Amino acid sequence: MNLGEKMTLKTNLKNLLLVIFATLILSACSTAKKSGDIDGDVYTGKETVEYLASGVPDRVFFATNKSSLTTASRATLRKQATFLRKNKNLNVTIEGHADERGTREYNLALGERRANAARDYLMTYGISGKRISVISYGKEKPVNPKSSPLSWSQNRRSVTVKVN
Amino acid sequence: MIKSLFYSITFHSIMILLTILSLPFMLREPIDLPPIVSVELIQISDKTNIPYAPKARKIIEETKKKEETRVVSEQAPPVAKAKEKPDRIPLPQEKKEEKKLVKKKQNPEEIKPEIRQSSEFEKKEIIDTNQIAALIDKAKEIQAVEKKKRDEITQSSKKNSFATGLTLSEEDALRAQIFGCWSIPLGLPYDENLLVRIKLQLKKDGTIMKSEIIDHERMNRPGQKFYKVLAESALRAVRLCQPLKVPPTGYDKWKDLQLNFNPVEMLKG
Amino acid sequence: MRIFFYIILFNLILINRSYSLIEVDITRGNLDPLPIAVSPLHVDIKSEGYKDIKIKELGDNISKIIERNFKSTGLFNPLKKDAFVQKPDIAHLKPRFEDWRLIKAQALVTGKLLIKNEKLKVEFRLWDLTASKEMTALAFTTTPSNWRRVAHIISDKIYERLTGEEGYFDTRIIFVAESGPKNQRVKKLAIMDQDGANVKYLTLGNELVLTPRFNPTNQMVTYMSYFRNMPRVYLLDIETGTQEVVGNFPGMTFAPRFSPDGKKIIMSFAKDGNSDIYTMNLETRVVERITDHSSIDTSPSFSPDGKYIAFNSDRSGLQQLYVMRSDGSNVKRITFGKGIYGTPVWSPRGDLIAFTKMHKGRFYIGVMRTDGSGERLLTENYYQEAPSWSPNGRVLVFYRETKAGEKGKGFSAKLWSIDITGYNERKLSTKTDASDPSWSSLLSK
Repeated sequence: MNLGEKMTLKTNLKNLLLVIFATLILSACSTAKKSGDIDGDVYTGKETVEYLASGVPDRVFFATNKSSLTTASRATLRKQATFLRKNKNLNVTIEGHADERGTREYNLALGERRANAARDYLMTYGISGKRISVISYGKEKPVNPKSSPLSWSQNRRSVTVKVN
Repeated sequence: MIKSLFYSITFHSIMILLTILSLPFMLREPIDLPPIVSVELIQISDKTNIPYAPKARKIIEETKKKEETRVVSEQAPPVAKAKEKPDRIPLPQEKKEEKKLVKKKQNPEEIKPEIRQSSEFEKKEIIDTNQIAALIDKAKEIQAVEKKKRDEITQSSKKNSFATGLTLSEEDALRAQIFGCWSIPLGLPYDENLLVRIKLQLKKDGTIMKSEIIDHERMNRPGQKFYKVLAESALRAVRLCQPLKVPPTGYDKWKDLQLNFNPVEMLKG
Repeated sequence: MRIFFYIILFNLILINRSYSLIEVDITRGNLDPLPIAVSPLHVDIKSEGYKDIKIKELGDNISKIIERNFKSTGLFNPLKKDAFVQKPDIAHLKPRFEDWRLIKAQALVTGKLLIKNEKLKVEFRLWDLTASKEMTALAFTTTPSNWRRVAHIISDKIYERLTGEEGYFDTRIIFVAESGPKNQRVKKLAIMDQDGANVKYLTLGNELVLTPRFNPTNQMVTYMSYFRNMPRVYLLDIETGTQEVVGNFPGMTFAPRFSPDGKKIIMSFAKDGNSDIYTMNLETRVVERITDHSSIDTSPSFSPDGKYIAFNSDRSGLQQLYVMRSDGSNVKRITFGKGIYGTPVWSPRGDLIAFTKMHKGRFYIGVMRTDGSGERLLTENYYQEAPSWSPNGRVLVFYRETKAGEKGKGFSAKLWSIDITGYNERKLSTKTDASDPSWSSLLSK
């Protein structure tokens, strides 16, 4: 083993150590976020989620002040659409909600917009608009009452509820 | 010869006209008094009122120092007091001004509000902080000009008083006394320009023989409730202050006295 | 030639010297609240009892209400009664001014009352102690059970006489009384006197109710209710208790407010994810659409002359304030500052718009001119919103929420008021939590 080889080994070792270190830090991060499960601003966890049927989550989450659907939300709504197609006699109400960090009146409108975003998506997957009614609760019905970014992300949601 | 006669007649008629104009019985509304007395016509008063004499200047400064301490004790700085309230958020403009001053001025102590308040006299003499701010902040310039405009009414009368009977220290003593007696009605709108002028007739001991609001009729006009309230508060202040701190001599000069009450500066905080 | 000129000049100096008046500018004074003595009202010995009113203490109680009203303004300093030097009945006839001046009072309120034949008669006088004269005097007759209102009306008259501004004491506040855990709040409509007395609940709490607002001209209230899970704007007559849905909208209506003449309700209607502003004429039932935009348009508020509407829209991407003509034309954005803005409310004087501002996670109540200039933030907190004006345009009432811990612990919602100067912030005491306040006009008008 000549000197040059020794050097490269050393740097390689160094790099390896760095990688291990970085992974450790990242994992530490993700464990800290484990209760959080927020991607950007959108809740991605399962803590508050209920199910319409096995494997069909009842709700999707939104970013602050937004009503656009994320990729995960779309996947969830597709499952709901499939479920609704199977249960032709079932009608649903979509409840739109906002977090507590906005004025009451605007949040009512925002909740309505979120619920409609979910409804529109279900309709593009063949569910009749007549089967889906919409109601907004604004910030009036938080699922998690704590004042924290995590609970706010859990409260920014639209929930599909069976009516009959 | 004819020429000079013509001049003589012209000047005399002008003089007669001016005399009529300045005769007291012709003056129903003193605010319309043409500002004939400008600063250039220096009137020499008993003691210190000679701006160009270096000796007098020293005397002014001495008396000023004396006054200052007294003024400070008598006139609790209410603005600063009001600002102690923690919940109040300063206006964005205020914030800006303060920050800028601290950043760019080399010795900011000089223009701290406490010092600004210490005496009216000093404020006039040394610096107008708004002007400085204007130099630093272009946006502020407009404000400063606006402020100047607002002050114009009072400014002109300030010049007048400079040229009349009271020396500056005498005037300051009187002013400081009335500052202490005047409870400014807090409900007044702070964005309106309210000025109340009171004419006083004084006895030799400084007690009041007669007090009269100059624009008296305005008090009972509809829509002038604020003016009425202010006028009443000014009258209360004068009465509370009796006897006024007037100089021991020169009664003839100050037996008639006009006080101009203007709360705008204070209400703006 | 020149000599003439000098003679004239000399004459001029002489003339002006002998007739010029010394002027002194008074630009400072103290900003302490005005010291005022409120003497207990003298109770006429011929007074008869009435129901459960304690006649002997009535004079004292009325003066206490007046004092509390004055104190709450921050403009007056009611002096302690133990320093009072004269008996109420004698003071009411003619006070010994010099004695009252000794306790540093500048104004004095005296009065007397009599209950006879089931009628309460109250008279009061306001004295200027430095001028040694009466400033105003009035007498009222009413049913004895109205005694609190009499105290408020007296307060209003004195306030007006001393400040030049209309008072706001004989008024009520309608609000939402809240109870229960944060994620299962029970909300009821409630109404109380401006000073927190006489709280009455107008709904039972079976359904969610929000944002009640007074009609500026009568005893009607508009609010939003989730009755039968249909979020709609309602109209309620607080005198008779009758209520009805406003309009026949196929979806959620919310954010209602009356027009200044009380004849229209302006509100938002949400359909297919889009909220626009509508008005409904309460007499003709005609519904008009005011805005037509794919954004959220809500929180509308008329100017007092009815010509303009301020509202809240996110058409720029985020919540900002806009002003338009009352027919919906000429929409202009008025807020461009940092942060986002909501709940514009036009002042009764017409010169200012109160609003809620959110910036960097903090909430502010502020006022600005109607073109958006001259923004002044009055108070900052963790969460607060929904300002409502006192009828004289001097005070704002709003609600403030605290940060909640795990499971909503430590959460509370309370009503607060603040002067438009930014001074005199105070909490209104309510038994329950409270939100969404709306201030009535003067009742005695």
